Amino acid sequence: MKVLYRICPLALAIVTGPTLAQADETAQMQQQIVVLQQQVNKLSQDRINLNGFFSTGYIRSNNDAGYAGSTTSSEVYDLSVMALQSTFSLSDQVQATMQIIGRGSESWEPEMEWAYLSYRPTSELQLRAGKMRQPLFMYSDFLEVGYAQPWARAPQTVYGNSPSSYVGADAAYTINLENSSITTQLFGGNMEDKKGSASVDVRNSFGLSTSWTNYVWTLRGVISSGELNLVATNAGLPPVEEERSSYLGVGVSYDDGNWQIISEATRTEIDGFYPDVDSAYLSVGHRFGAFTPYAVIGWTESQDNEERPAMLGSFLNTERTEYSVGVRWDITSGVALKADWTYATGFEDGPNGLDQQAVLVEGIEDTNVYTFKIDAAF
Amino acid sequence: MKKTVMMLVASLLLSPVALAEVVVIGHPSITDEVSANTVRDVYLNRNKAMTPFELAEGNAIRTEFHNKVTSRNDAQLKAFWSQQVFTGRGNPPLTQSSVAAMKAAVASTPGSIGYIDSADVDKSVKVLLTP
Repeated sequence: MKVLYRICPLALAIVTGPTLAQADETAQMQQQIVVLQQQVNKLSQDRINLNGFFSTGYIRSNNDAGYAGSTTSSEVYDLSVMALQSTFSLSDQVQATMQIIGRGSESWEPEMEWAYLSYRPTSELQLRAGKMRQPLFMYSDFLEVGYAQPWARAPQTVYGNSPSSYVGADAAYTINLENSSITTQLFGGNMEDKKGSASVDVRNSFGLSTSWTNYVWTLRGVISSGELNLVATNAGLPPVEEERSSYLGVGVSYDDGNWQIISEATRTEIDGFYPDVDSAYLSVGHRFGAFTPYAVIGWTESQDNEERPAMLGSFLNTERTEYSVGVRWDITSGVALKADWTYATGFEDGPNGLDQQAVLVEGIEDTNVYTFKIDAAF
Repeated sequence: MKKTVMMLVASLLLSPVALAEVVVIGHPSITDEVSANTVRDVYLNRNKAMTPFELAEGNAIRTEFHNKVTSRNDAQLKAFWSQQVFTGRGNPPLTQSSVAAMKAAVASTPGSIGYIDSADVDKSVKVLLTP
């Protein structure tokens, strides 16, 4: 009997030992898996994000009016853009972002388009400082990201002479309502840009934009002002010195997944002899699976022609109506092919925004522009 | 007769899809009630209180989820996120390559949400909502 008492615990240990050890091991392994998974999540989520976009294409027109820089010869080179963007997360709230762009039209010389630090103290507020794109009109801050736009080219009446990056700071505040949200953004800084022989410089520029969306409709308004300095050496125009320039814009868009309707109206005012220009466009598109055909009508006209002497007027007066039809084809996720035909007319008395010299010398009254483009985002 | 057979075949083919129902899952730490609007805001970068995960593009459950919750298809989502990314507003949710990976990611990330077929639910995750 004594022997039995002695053997019993031993037998029990032999029987239960392995299962206990096994359960222990399984729990341990499960824990290890959870820890590993958390590490994987952390690595892929928090550290570095790399993104980029690429565009290339072909643009050609039937004459030398110079619409969007097009000529009668093919210009594959000019439409090419490649950008790389990286975002480093320093903490849950602080991120550093930089974007480098190379443009075919600028011999692919890489340029730092963005370099900023962003801070998100709460889920509603975002503060940024550094070099950024000016969020002037609805598509301004991603004007070069062709993939994010329905068109082969953003409507030139509004976006033809859009300013680029500025150095400054902005603050954006989002209020989430039951079925909609409102985002208000304040921005300010200085801008410097060289376009060919012209150099543009806007000092002490500031602005306010606000947009409301219910996920189908979006309404947006913007107001901005700054001091403009402009030197256009080759055109023989007098320089602009510290003239107040202001921008006003309203926009509305509708996207229910099938219909895609976008319209904007903008007003640019510059003190002095430079033109005050009103512009607007309406774009209607419809998705049919991977294909999205669209049609756009755009208009632009200077409002202060009588303030300019005739010589300046023939160069700086602005007047144009344009019609575009095109199609976007989403070949695969991240890549879209676009084809576009644009007809612009009515600019013989207001060639500003086009090649004024060619329009005046050759007496061009209208132009047909054909564009074929590939846009990718990754 | 041909028509009936065709319809029978079609219904057989369609039935597994019809049975599948997408559910929104979350990390067990999420105790508050979550509405469909909140889930939509989280997946459209308007609410950063939770971390969303996605299934891969083309996945039937992903399509159904977005159909019901964000009303956006894959191409729209891709264009939407390229706007967000290239205006510095944020990055798209992390994509999980399988249902198992989705469940593991949600189960191991506090404050995260995802979506799976109701048939794949187990006790590692919590069902928050059936949209």
